[in-house]
Amino acid sequence: MKNGTKRLTTDALFTAAALGIFVIELQIPSIGIPGVKLGLANIVTVAAAFLIGPWDAGAVLLCRILLAGMFSGQVMALWYSLAGGALCWLTMLPMRKILTAKQIWVMSVIGAVAHNIGQIAVALIVTRTAAILYYLPVLMISGVLAGLFTGFAAQFSVGRLEPVVRKIFR
Amino acid sequence: MMKTKTWAALVGGFLLLSVIAALIVYLRPAPGTVANIYRDGEPLCSVDLSLVTEPYEFTLTDGRGSNVIRAEPGRIAVVDADCPDRICVKSGWHSDSAAPIVCLPHRLVIRIEKNAAAGSEAVPDAVSQ
Repeated sequence: MKNGTKRLTTDALFTAAALGIFVIELQIPSIGIPGVKLGLANIVTVAAAFLIGPWDAGAVLLCRILLAGMFSGQVMALWYSLAGGALCWLTMLPMRKILTAKQIWVMSVIGAVAHNIGQIAVALIVTRTAAILYYLPVLMISGVLAGLFTGFAAQFSVGRLEPVVRKIFR
Repeated sequence: MMKTKTWAALVGGFLLLSVIAALIVYLRPAPGTVANIYRDGEPLCSVDLSLVTEPYEFTLTDGRGSNVIRAEPGRIAVVDADCPDRICVKSGWHSDSAAPIVCLPHRLVIRIEKNAAAGSEAVPDAVSQ
């Protein structure tokens, strides 16, 4: 992508959408298992990876995580999100090249599972308690299910938004 | 390019393995009846749930905040906490599960184990409210 202003505006738009979705998800009450959540903002991350490329998607993800940390006011949660987000993004780099337009949901599932592994790694460091790993299988299940949901949402979004994005960067 | 069916099979297989692993973890009974409470991975105090006759509560506080813990005959729970997510409260009663109660914001972990962890203090009834 060459045009600086268009690129900046598009990335900002994606960040705003991700942040809006994140704030809405804050209203959904958490359940009694640490780390289990829908991760709706992942829809934007996955869609962005396909629409504007992994580097811009990474920038959107980082900005969203930092702003979300300020919006939710939980400083510790920032570290979990950063670790989860970084792992999630790293899996996206190779995945983007080997998936077709009908397999975008796969990236979301793998990203969600990677995100949860990153979170549990931070929890292990923070609590210095190996027993945290008892939650790993549950977090894998929740990662796959949430990833499927957000993945198909992202796949449908990419289908609709691709002509628009192509028009902008024509 | 891999076929979509292949991806679906891989994801399905991983999901199945996770479900089996989760069942093994959750159906596995706790090795004992002693609830050990850890903060930052260090033993803080312990309660032998098999010796509890009258329910009582105690509060554990440090710089990050406090958790109100309730011990009843054979089971333990965090009944109140001032952490932001209150996941420890929502995880409810634990009696014979090997999975711990976790309060990540306060770095508190409650595990049910065979013996009291070395260096932990017994919870005196005096701190009950």
